[in-house]
Amino acid sequence: MIKYIVRRTIQAIPVLFGITIVVYGILLAAPGGPTAKFAQNPRITQEMKEDFKRAWGLDQPVPVQYCRWMGFCSKEVDAKILGVLPAPAAFIGPKGWPNLLPTPLSGASNGVLHGDFGFSISTGELVNKAISRAALPTLILASSALVVWLVVAILIGVYAAIHRYSLFDQAATVFAYVGYAMPTFWLGIMLIFLFSGPGLNILPAGGMTETRVSPPFGSDDYWVYFGANTVAAILDIGKHLILPLFTLVVVSIAGDSRFVRASMLEALGQDYVRTAKAKGLPARTVTFKHALRNAMLPVVTNIGLELPLLFTGAIVTETIFSWPGMGRLTIQAINSFDYPVLMGILLIAATLTVFANLLADVAYAVVDPRITY
Amino acid sequence: MSDVFSNEPGIEAERLRRAEEAGEDYEVGLESLSQWQLAWRKFRHHRLALIGLGIIATLIVVAIAGPILMPFDFATIPVPDKIVYQGSPPSLAHPMGETGGLQRDVLELVVNGSRTSLFIGFSSMFIGVTIGTIVGSIAGYVGGFLDNLLMRIVDVMLSLPILFVILVAGRFFGNGSVVLIVVIFGLFSWMGVSRLVRSQFLSIRESEFVEAARAVGVRDRRIIFRHILPNAFSPIVVVASLIVAGNIIGEAFVSFLGFGVSPTTPTWGNILSNALTFIPLGNWWWPMFPGLAIILTVLAVNFIGDGLRDALDPRSRA
Repeated sequence: MIKYIVRRTIQAIPVLFGITIVVYGILLAAPGGPTAKFAQNPRITQEMKEDFKRAWGLDQPVPVQYCRWMGFCSKEVDAKILGVLPAPAAFIGPKGWPNLLPTPLSGASNGVLHGDFGFSISTGELVNKAISRAALPTLILASSALVVWLVVAILIGVYAAIHRYSLFDQAATVFAYVGYAMPTFWLGIMLIFLFSGPGLNILPAGGMTETRVSPPFGSDDYWVYFGANTVAAILDIGKHLILPLFTLVVVSIAGDSRFVRASMLEALGQDYVRTAKAKGLPARTVTFKHALRNAMLPVVTNIGLELPLLFTGAIVTETIFSWPGMGRLTIQAINSFDYPVLMGILLIAATLTVFANLLADVAYAVVDPRITY
Repeated sequence: MSDVFSNEPGIEAERLRRAEEAGEDYEVGLESLSQWQLAWRKFRHHRLALIGLGIIATLIVVAIAGPILMPFDFATIPVPDKIVYQGSPPSLAHPMGETGGLQRDVLELVVNGSRTSLFIGFSSMFIGVTIGTIVGSIAGYVGGFLDNLLMRIVDVMLSLPILFVILVAGRFFGNGSVVLIVVIFGLFSWMGVSRLVRSQFLSIRESEFVEAARAVGVRDRRIIFRHILPNAFSPIVVVASLIVAGNIIGEAFVSFLGFGVSPTTPTWGNILSNALTFIPLGNWWWPMFPGLAIILTVLAVNFIGDGLRDALDPRSRA
């Protein structure tokens, strides 16, 4: 088992490495480059652009830039082979150990490997700081959505499977088909029209907190306010959470309730369920103890595979409801050509995906005793 | 099925055509013919799939004929002399209402949007399926190092948050052009197909009829195109339907955020994007109808996919 986990983890490393190359490549290929934001400014001369590039290390050849961004190379050493590739000396950190080792050993702190994503080009803020500030709202939205999504999907799926072809089952089928075809963002827009439009103005259309009452979420002032009015602040966030949460979970519930139903039906048709019934066990015990437990096995894997979708979905939802999370940060970064922030977000999202897949595989091996590795 | 090789150039094609006429390989021709007839017979009995087919056929007619009957010109403003802000709800003259601001007919926008949205959905699917089939075939047939490399690339691509990448690509490379958006979506929708085609190749490659073909000296290319790909066709079609649905929603979202097709061209996403600013005025008909169009299309495509899955799955053959 442990061997299997270790093997899968090691297999994830080349994928992660590939992701860094793709992310770097996409943004490298983007037209304009980091100086694109100066294109409209007549007061910035070519010389100033060159200085800007030199200051950020953008005058270096691409392999050297990538090597430094990753943290394989030290940013102090300029030596190159053939004028393009970083020289072996560049791979040695300030303390004489390889640069990619953790900071206490190598003395180096640059690059993704040391958790340094650089500075935001548009605000000058540390990328880490910008992302961690945006991560909390996304986490609140995504985790509450996960709970609602799982509970509702399993309830609908199991009930529909037990009462197969009943009115409820048919209604759930229709809901699943329509919900699955519905664009998340359209649902969000219609909900805003419905609940925050002029007709029925009962829920806030966007944001995370009532800005007239409290300081902006995440600021130091906000946490002071939060400490003083904890209950009111939580209720406020809750009120703002309702519409985005609903928007986010509908599509996932639509798809997964069908999945749970199918899995449950399969389990209910198994021989051991018939045996349990034949022994005279109460229907409740058979359904929940014999069938449900086994029906959950594929569901567990499926959840692992769908976690990244939750993340993407959260981003989509955030942009509609101006939720101050990763989604909004992404859109801002795209609009202002903020490469370091974009690279950080893409990399974190991709890493999450890889680990969610890993978790799904491992979880499946753990919960299903029939699988041995 | 005999026209599979009609676009093969040169002597090779001529040789194959003669071989075809001479009756070699006759069992493949007969088999595939009956397979499609059988599939259609089953598809016909799938009521929802037929409805879906009807909807898609109607939408395609609308997408082709609609813009001719209701031409949209971005520069033409319907009520040029009046300053009006509030749109008007659905009426007999405007069955889907009029937009706020420029007072455009929502029906006209939706009809014109259908052309762009369907075009993007279907053509990006063709690009994706083509790339996916090529990559999957190579990986599955050649195997070894190349297979490993290609599948790791697929792993990497599948780990990326594709929607983000498309947003970034749309902003940086899209320039609001429909064709470029199609290419971008196509380039990011082949991974599932390639995995599927590879797995089909891996299993079919070892089957007896391929072994027999190889034993009598059939060339690799002919084995791939003639013996393996036709058998892998049905699962590809099912996945293709999912790609169309996903890309129509995806395009709407990207355009909705303003990183997709330029706002001067109506797509379902662009209409929604414009409607957003009119929320305080409660012009619900403006975003509702393009959204319903998306749902209807995706629903129809999904139904067709379901029908195809049932009809083409050899295990469910009656």
